Amino acid sequence: MGGFTKMNGLAAKRGYTYRLTRRQFLVASSAAALAACAPAAVTPGASGSPSAAPGKELKIGQLLPFTGVYAELGNSMRRATELYLRQNDQKLANRPVKLIYEDDTNVTATGIQKAQKFIDQDKVDVMMGVVPTPLAYGIRNAVHEAKMIFIDTNAGGNALTRDTPDCKPACKSPYIFRSSFSSYQISFPIGDYLSAKGTKDWFLAYANYGFGTESKADFTTGLKKNGGNVTGEVAPPLGNADFAPFVTQIKNQPTKNVYSFFSGADAIGFIKTWNQLGLPAAGYKMYGAGFLTEQDVLKEVKDLANGAITSLFWAVELDNAENKKFVADFQKQYPLLPDVFAVQQYDGMRALDEALKKLGGDTSDKDKFSKALEDVTFKSPRGDFAFDKTTHNPIQDIYLREVKTTGGQTVNTILDKIAKVTDPGK
Amino acid sequence: MSPELLFQQALNGLSFGALLFILAAGLSLVFGMMDVVNLAHGAFYMLGAYVALTVVQFTGSFWLALAAAPVALGALGLAIEPLLLRHLRGRHLDQVLLTIGVSLVIVDQIGLIWGREVRSLPFPPGLDGTVVLIGGVYPVYRLFVIAFGVALAAVIAVIYRRTKLGMLIRAGVEDAEMLGALGVNTDRLFALTFAVGAALAGLAGVIAAPVFGLQPGMDVDALLYSLVVVVVGGLGTLGGAVAGSVLVGPVDTFGKVLFQEFALAVIFAIVALVLLFKPTGLLGRIRIAR
Repeated sequence: MGGFTKMNGLAAKRGYTYRLTRRQFLVASSAAALAACAPAAVTPGASGSPSAAPGKELKIGQLLPFTGVYAELGNSMRRATELYLRQNDQKLANRPVKLIYEDDTNVTATGIQKAQKFIDQDKVDVMMGVVPTPLAYGIRNAVHEAKMIFIDTNAGGNALTRDTPDCKPACKSPYIFRSSFSSYQISFPIGDYLSAKGTKDWFLAYANYGFGTESKADFTTGLKKNGGNVTGEVAPPLGNADFAPFVTQIKNQPTKNVYSFFSGADAIGFIKTWNQLGLPAAGYKMYGAGFLTEQDVLKEVKDLANGAITSLFWAVELDNAENKKFVADFQKQYPLLPDVFAVQQYDGMRALDEALKKLGGDTSDKDKFSKALEDVTFKSPRGDFAFDKTTHNPIQDIYLREVKTTGGQTVNTILDKIAKVTDPGK
Repeated sequence: MSPELLFQQALNGLSFGALLFILAAGLSLVFGMMDVVNLAHGAFYMLGAYVALTVVQFTGSFWLALAAAPVALGALGLAIEPLLLRHLRGRHLDQVLLTIGVSLVIVDQIGLIWGREVRSLPFPPGLDGTVVLIGGVYPVYRLFVIAFGVALAAVIAVIYRRTKLGMLIRAGVEDAEMLGALGVNTDRLFALTFAVGAALAGLAGVIAAPVFGLQPGMDVDALLYSLVVVVVGGLGTLGGAVAGSVLVGPVDTFGKVLFQEFALAVIFAIVALVLLFKPTGLLGRIRIAR
């Protein structure tokens, strides 16, 4: 019980108020009370086991957005972090964890300052988080030079885990790991797969910003591997309000298979306008990177997304024991389904935990710390998880999913799997 | 561009323009009367959309939401003017700063009450279908937005020119001080004007929500577009708001598909050109600095 309240006290000092619902509080406090009572009841007086004495406090700096357009991603990742810690008695490798959250406010310069604060002022043992790719690129050099172990739990820009000329705009580092994905991983394999299946002509629609253009380029390379071909494209600006002009363009060209890269509000706008302008009836078929049909989008558009085929390294419906447990535990703790961002963060915590266990909790030697992380493998909700030792990007399966509505529930059903996708690293 | 495509994109542009008119009319009215650029206008728009979301969730009726949101926003406007703005009357820059503060408070409250995830409002039943027009099918809702915009402009024009309230507003825009000297209660008139401006922003929020969705940051987009419209059309006049939105809507639509790389720059290029050659806006009145 003490550990739990202490965590909240520390968090409150950091300026973040934790809003617990009554249910969450009851669940957490009764779990803590049970945990506190159980050993005393079973083995009174026998607290001599060596692992019982808690180790040194482990400081984890979490750089996440809690305001601005990505606020909900930050909230989801915070939920996943705290779920993992609750499941593990608020400790990693027997070290009590102190979480320090900083809000990047969706401004790159602010995020860079906060990362510097983690390094210089808080002297955290490990850094996690980062949603937008420009911020991940922006803190890369500072993290690398400080030998700060940083687990990127979202930003997907390819360069962060690659060899690039003159390290522009970023490049891999022994101290940087990624528990999410690279743009390449969610774009190239699906382009390759779809063209190999015989559909050669594609029209593209993508949000015109870094991640959109990078994904589009990788998808096109995948297509071309099997003689596929892009017949045209539309590129709305990121956060575009009115999708009618773009969907009208799509409807007035002959290529029926449309591959798209949108997420969040853009994805909702695109799917609704697609239906409103009657594209399904006109024979057009929607494909996309998985974010197009994640929970945040599906709960708003529902069956309007039916038939859309998307690819991602996870789906809430994925049928494996770890995922079922993760989804159930998450729902027990919070009144909502986990999303892919929660999985990325949860896996980041798990990878950190596994590495620390191997090190006996000792994080002082950063090169040893990095080596330990490289060797981590475990069963994740997404399937087998391992870091690629040369890039520090995950090696993961990519799932093909189709949106279907059954019994009032709109979900991604798994169609196929592309096994063990790695990033080429350059 | 084929004639069919041209026609469809023109409709897209016009329906966007109609929405911009509903949005910008309130901003223009408040400026004309009170000489205040109300930078909380985008936040009012956002709040209107979220009020509509709640009304639709509880009652299932889009039409009730379309009535409730302007009423709620009007009430808010009626409270904000006497409580806050009135105390800074005559200090225009301070009033503008105050409206920024109001918008920050509103947007943060929306985040606390409704959350920060992306939301959407379903199309109202009956308007969710399509009709056959030249070159294919076209969504009914977007035609409804055009019709609504035109009807609203007509209603405002009639009130402006044919009613006592309209006469007072026109007189207030001309010279509020003189109006006060003639025995008109300008305090009440200003509060009413501000309330109507807020109600129009709320109305635009409801109309836009099924098409554009609800998300953090929507207030800034809406404010930016409405400022563009009133700057291009001319601040403070009904004709200016009409001219600005009829120009900006289609230009934005065609600009986005024809010059994708400069999608965001096209409308600002228009603003720059208008400011260069006609600094008062297309139909703006020449204002004497007071």
